[in-house]
Amino acid sequence: MTPAQTTRLDRPGLAPGLPLWRRLLLSEYLVLFLTVVYVAGMALIVPEILAADTWRDILAAMIPLLIVAIGQMFVLVVAGIDLSATSVLAFSSVLGAAVITMDGGPLVGMPAFLVVAVGILAFMAVGGAVGAFNGACTTRFNMPPFIVTLTTMMFFSGAAIWVTTLLTDDGSSIGSLPREFVFIGQGRVFELPFSLLIALAVGLLAHVALSHSLFGRWLFAIGINPNAAAVSGVPVRRTMFWAYVISGACAGLAAVIYTARLETGTPVLGQRILLDVVGAAVIGGVSLFGGKAKVLWVVFGALFLTVVDKGLQLLGLSLAGVFAIKGGVILLAAIVDAQRQRLKGRG
Amino acid sequence: MKLARREFTIGSLLAAGTAGLPIMVKAQEGKTVALLFDSLVSPFWVSGLEIMKEKGKANGWELLENISNFDDNKQFEQVKAMIARKVDGILIIQTDSKAVIPAIRAANEANIPMVHFNRPPAESDAYSVAIQADNRQITRDTVQFMVDEAKRRGGQYKACILIGDLGDVNAIQRRDGFFDIVDQNQDIIEVVARVATEWNADKAFAGLMNALQANPDINFLFTSSDFMHPQIQQVLETFDMWKKRDEEGHVIFGGFDGDDGAYQRIVDGYLDACGVQNLFLEVDMAFQAFQDMWAGKKPEKLLMDPGFVITQENKDQVRDEMWGYIVWEKNGGKPISG
Repeated sequence: MTPAQTTRLDRPGLAPGLPLWRRLLLSEYLVLFLTVVYVAGMALIVPEILAADTWRDILAAMIPLLIVAIGQMFVLVVAGIDLSATSVLAFSSVLGAAVITMDGGPLVGMPAFLVVAVGILAFMAVGGAVGAFNGACTTRFNMPPFIVTLTTMMFFSGAAIWVTTLLTDDGSSIGSLPREFVFIGQGRVFELPFSLLIALAVGLLAHVALSHSLFGRWLFAIGINPNAAAVSGVPVRRTMFWAYVISGACAGLAAVIYTARLETGTPVLGQRILLDVVGAAVIGGVSLFGGKAKVLWVVFGALFLTVVDKGLQLLGLSLAGVFAIKGGVILLAAIVDAQRQRLKGRG
Repeated sequence: MKLARREFTIGSLLAAGTAGLPIMVKAQEGKTVALLFDSLVSPFWVSGLEIMKEKGKANGWELLENISNFDDNKQFEQVKAMIARKVDGILIIQTDSKAVIPAIRAANEANIPMVHFNRPPAESDAYSVAIQADNRQITRDTVQFMVDEAKRRGGQYKACILIGDLGDVNAIQRRDGFFDIVDQNQDIIEVVARVATEWNADKAFAGLMNALQANPDINFLFTSSDFMHPQIQQVLETFDMWKKRDEEGHVIFGGFDGDDGAYQRIVDGYLDACGVQNLFLEVDMAFQAFQDMWAGKKPEKLLMDPGFVITQENKDQVRDEMWGYIVWEKNGGKPISG
């Protein structure tokens, strides 16, 4: 299936003549609409959710999650999954921070731009390397992606802690990062997070790669039917391999932003956001079974989850309350999505 | 697509418009303080939160809660959310002492006082106040009691220490306090096992099991936190070494924290001494720090809780200061934790 075909599947629901609620339910903007409804509801209790500062924070919080989720989308579209994305965050955070730290790091005394450039490359290279390993195991040895990435998740999570223990006195984290690097995560341009520029670039590249390139068509073809794709001449193994590399590199790039925000390379970075990473893509509309994806959907999914989190943080409820509300909101979104699929099925 | 976009815009505006309706804002009297915990995994933190709620309520404060589940980035987001809510103070228990620094800076910029409870941040130019137990001294006092007990009983001792997560300064200070005393008494005590638990009860269980298999003559045991007592008891029972003080084969046993389980074991005679963090005092110190900062004062960056040691000898005199005893008493004279 091509991206054009994917879009056609969404169109029947938008046909004029259908009731408004049904057209909305079938619209690709549904998740965005649910976000607006959630914000409106929350604003009744915590009006601060409407403040410009809050939205700047939401944007800053969403950007690294979005970048990892976009990487995840490339794997999901070929009916794979990358569970190691969170351990890539941790491992590249530690190794990247070790390279650029001004506390005895190898680049002390070098020009700032060089330190930052080498640092970003180091973060992304670590992520890309883990992705390449995942891709090689999945395509060369025909191993299930779930098992491969689960084991690499465990291995690199442990490796991140081990490396930190080796590199630091207290074994906890790596600090003293250069100010120029910290700017990537904390700096502002025209009152917006600087990292937004990175997210826009990643989003644009991902959109072009997915929807306007041969590589993207191969990804969709593999996700729908890998055997048919292979018969049609699609280099299935090579394409899948690169999907995992992209996922790893995106996680490495997200680690740059997370690490810069916290001014610290930490081995527990992102260890508990796996559900958010996969959830952002899936809630947005990316299929877990492959062949259906769009960058815009991932943007909506990441925004939805970030806004839900921010609303609950603003409420300042007990842990039990937070779990109950977050679970309820996501369940509601899932129910709405299920109804949407049912209606789409009917055409 | 044009039609859908227009409809989406109309729908969004309708939904957003509801936010513009007159809103019910709860009347707030007094101060609003955010309590940002990284977890509630041990009785110490659960009790700490309860004490804070009671004392905060008594002060007439509104308390907001957030738990980060050991996620430094999420905790940073929570700090920003509390800044957006314009709270009057932020009490934080961070996971990583360095990763919390941007959060302190953000609070400084918003002119909101921040107090770190039980864990100080790493050195930085940002200003905040940390309340911390004097881990090293309390551990020294606890281990000194254990050594005195060993001397009273006579003989030679093989020691084992369960060490916490060395990324946590509390764990490091407790380990150092243990060795400060043991190293002075090498004539009767030899440390044969150092179990790295990383504050993980399962690792404590497995590590102690291995240590006792390798050294079945261990008879002097210190744990850096009381939450591992159930695992310790289980292992010692397996080796038939779980004995009261007046029984043959008793392992001289010391702990740290002062939870309800520790109090029960003191009463039962299994635990010889326990270093207690004075949770009530620490909460008072934290809240006083807020009041000082609201009054324009600038307290020291690190305020120490001297703590105390509860032993078999003084338990009736000091137990009212032990938070674990209060939990134990409220629970009808039995521990909630294992």
